[in-house]
Amino acid sequence: MSPLVIAFLVLALLTCGSALSLLWTKNLLHAALAMFLTMLGLAGLYVLAYADVLAVAHLLVYVGGVLILILFGIMLTNQTNQTNQTNQTDTASSKNHLMTRESSRLLPMSIGLSFFLGLFWLFTKGPWMNNLPVTGDSKLREVGLGLLTEYAFPFELAGVFLLIALIGATFVAKNHD
Amino acid sequence: MTDIPVLYFLWVSAFLFATGLTILLLKKNTIFVLMGIELILNAANLNLVAFSKNDPSMQGLYLSLFVLVVGVCEMAIALAIILQVYRNYRAIDVDQFTSEF
Repeated sequence: MSPLVIAFLVLALLTCGSALSLLWTKNLLHAALAMFLTMLGLAGLYVLAYADVLAVAHLLVYVGGVLILILFGIMLTNQTNQTNQTNQTDTASSKNHLMTRESSRLLPMSIGLSFFLGLFWLFTKGPWMNNLPVTGDSKLREVGLGLLTEYAFPFELAGVFLLIALIGATFVAKNHD
Repeated sequence: MTDIPVLYFLWVSAFLFATGLTILLLKKNTIFVLMGIELILNAANLNLVAFSKNDPSMQGLYLSLFVLVVGVCEMAIALAIILQVYRNYRAIDVDQFTSEF
């Protein structure tokens, strides 16, 4: 086995394992940590697919932006359990009240498992060619040139879209009283 | 230099998609549901990147960059909406609202 494949296996295990723990946990903070690990593993997988530009952007956006946003969302919508509030003496030793509710596990998990098996079967049967020539170096220069020439309009549109989303999010989140 | 087959990436992305779908169906907290949507989005992104791996024109890579941007916008707007819902109803679980229609 080549070292590339071993690195892929490690990163895929990290990604899939932390995605499973994101599925399994009921604690919102643990879920945020699991999502952080998933995004880290995904960035590594992007690097292995020769998309290092996207990997860096992914790390910046998800670990730096979305995760902080989610943590703020968790903090601002924190529902303290009224039942545990009364007999809670010291906050340091007690558990946090971030446990969430979920529906019964059987039906969603069987649907997810069947979906995974179906996709697995479909992908394995697919006519993918594995012996294509590898363009195995950084594509930073090509991506930068392409974004400013061939894809200049969608690039600018994405910038305007981000601005609209920023203004819209601040407007929606502000206190309207 | 050996290359990682496309199929491996597809397996990982199928797993991520199925996990995201299960989270979407299983969890009742809206922030959890949003995390599931992010997983699904990233599974699609991984597929795009894996298929543009051997493509000299790299169209999948460009599309995945724009998917990233749209995903971030969706996350910001959704969290703002969740905040407003929490402010009005004091709950963000998806089964605690009943429609009046």
